[in-house]
Amino acid sequence: MLEIKNLHVSVGGKAILNGLTLRIDAGEVHAIMGPNGSGKSTLSYVLAGRAGYDITEGSILYNGEDLAAMAPEVRAAKGVFLAMQYPVEIPGVTTMTFLKTALNAQRRARGEPEMDAIGVLKSVRKKAATLNVSEEMLKRALNVGFSGGEKKRLEILQMALFEPKLAILDETDSGLDIDALRLVAEGVNALRSPERAMLVITHYQRLLDYIVPDRIHVLSAGRIIKEGGKELALELEAKGYEQIVKDAA
Amino acid sequence: MSSATARILPERRAEALARWNARGLPTRRIEEWKYSDLKAALGEAGVGAVVAEWLIGDLPFGIELFDLSQPDPPDWVLAQFGARADNAMSDASLALSAGGVALRVPAGFAPDAPLKLDFTGPGHVRALLVLEAGAALTLVEGAGAADFRNVGFEIVVGEGASLNHVRLSPAAPEAILVEEIGLTLAARALYTAHFANFGAKLSRVELEIALQGEGAAAHLSGVSVLKNDHADVTTHVIHAVGNTQSTQLFRHVAGGRSRAVYQGKVTVAKGADGADSRQTAKALLLGEAAEADLKPELEILADDVKCAHGAAVGDLDTDSLFYLRARGIPEAEARRLLLHAFLEDAIAEIADPHRATVRDAVNAALEGVA
Repeated sequence: MLEIKNLHVSVGGKAILNGLTLRIDAGEVHAIMGPNGSGKSTLSYVLAGRAGYDITEGSILYNGEDLAAMAPEVRAAKGVFLAMQYPVEIPGVTTMTFLKTALNAQRRARGEPEMDAIGVLKSVRKKAATLNVSEEMLKRALNVGFSGGEKKRLEILQMALFEPKLAILDETDSGLDIDALRLVAEGVNALRSPERAMLVITHYQRLLDYIVPDRIHVLSAGRIIKEGGKELALELEAKGYEQIVKDAA
Repeated sequence: MSSATARILPERRAEALARWNARGLPTRRIEEWKYSDLKAALGEAGVGAVVAEWLIGDLPFGIELFDLSQPDPPDWVLAQFGARADNAMSDASLALSAGGVALRVPAGFAPDAPLKLDFTGPGHVRALLVLEAGAALTLVEGAGAADFRNVGFEIVVGEGASLNHVRLSPAAPEAILVEEIGLTLAARALYTAHFANFGAKLSRVELEIALQGEGAAAHLSGVSVLKNDHADVTTHVIHAVGNTQSTQLFRHVAGGRSRAVYQGKVTVAKGADGADSRQTAKALLLGEAAEADLKPELEILADDVKCAHGAAVGDLDTDSLFYLRARGIPEAEARRLLLHAFLEDAIAEIADPHRATVRDAVNAALEGVA
């Protein structure tokens, strides 16, 4: 589904990713772990199509298509979803209006019929209940005044609503207490499916206790320096990034 | 001048004409006109002496109407008409127009239906609206395009009376539309107003609001959505006595080579303790050549007052834009959504059912701007 080859990315002229190679197939959950500044967020933003991230070398293929050539909204319509580390607050747009606008924009782009307000509301309500997203949150301006946990829950609610093919979760565990983390992880696990690939980006092993990945990649200085199964998370936790980086060198 | 002019309040008109002849057109050297070059916009055509028209669809039952072009005005017109004498363009409409309308809402009367008043055609026109004590009214003011129109509007809000004013100025890229509104508010009078402006070659509304009685309050809000046009809102709120309140909330979106102006002066008179005033104005500039001039200003002569003001000019937030696009919303739609959200603060100030009217007009205008 996703095939990244020798990816080099610069931000403001500074090289952040330096030859990253990664392949994720449908049905798989991969984790990228790495210390601060290793390029984790850069990778997530490049995949989602944020401006200011220049691909200087390498390629990203998504279902055989050149992902980098697509506008962010085209990627979303084709099933790429990024659960952001810092969801943006947008005063003046209610959460419900946003969800409906986004859902129908994606459907329109795929040539599917738009859903009416009641249809969207029903669909959102069903998913909101399991993620403990209240009716009141849906009426409020998007992310405005939401706690860290509420913001992350809303990200996962969007993921459940949009049913992406490739979901990228950027530091979804940051700022969550253990109860919130469990709730979010349950939401994510419920979306695991043979048709869907997930890329979980995290600094800590903690999240991977709840979302158990098929593969773990360790990112350092913009490159994958070590790969392994789920047990690699425990090794990282025990040894720390510094030792793993040294071992790999 | 028509014969009617000669019969109605000839002295006030003659005085206004003398002042107008002495002062002439306001220039950019006058602070209130710094960002609206009326002289340049008018060119050789000048202000003329044509009488512009007014239109009232259905006059709500109980409101008294007097056509200012008719002889023998009633006492309430004689008492209030042309009382203001310190504004050049207001003088011009008083001196040069024989037409206009005067309206009175009797004491304690509150019509259910709004009063719809439109100004149309080129030239000058006057209006007078008197709300007697305890009266309540919603006034919906509209404007047709014209090469040049100058409206001089006097509004008197009596003790405990309440006026809700919604003014819609549609996009008129060829028009020069100016209006001077002078209001006085008695004790406990309430004035709520929204000014939605979609731009003209030159579009300017100037409000002078005198809070003359304790407990009087004025709440102003407004939006302008400009494709390639000009819109100027200039306000002067005078807290003449204490325990008066004023709020102002304006949002502008300026595209192309537009110019959005907000000048808001608040004066708190000596001894007007307990006055409370807030002003905020924000503008988003969409075009490289777009300009916003936001100038809140305070003049405080009293000791114990609460006054705050702020202004900010910016561009659309790129993080927000990316977030929406990453959720599948195409760029143009995402921009419109954010612009609407930016304006919604001010739109939310409007009382129903006119909030929806303004919102629809704003959304339609954003189609052309974003």
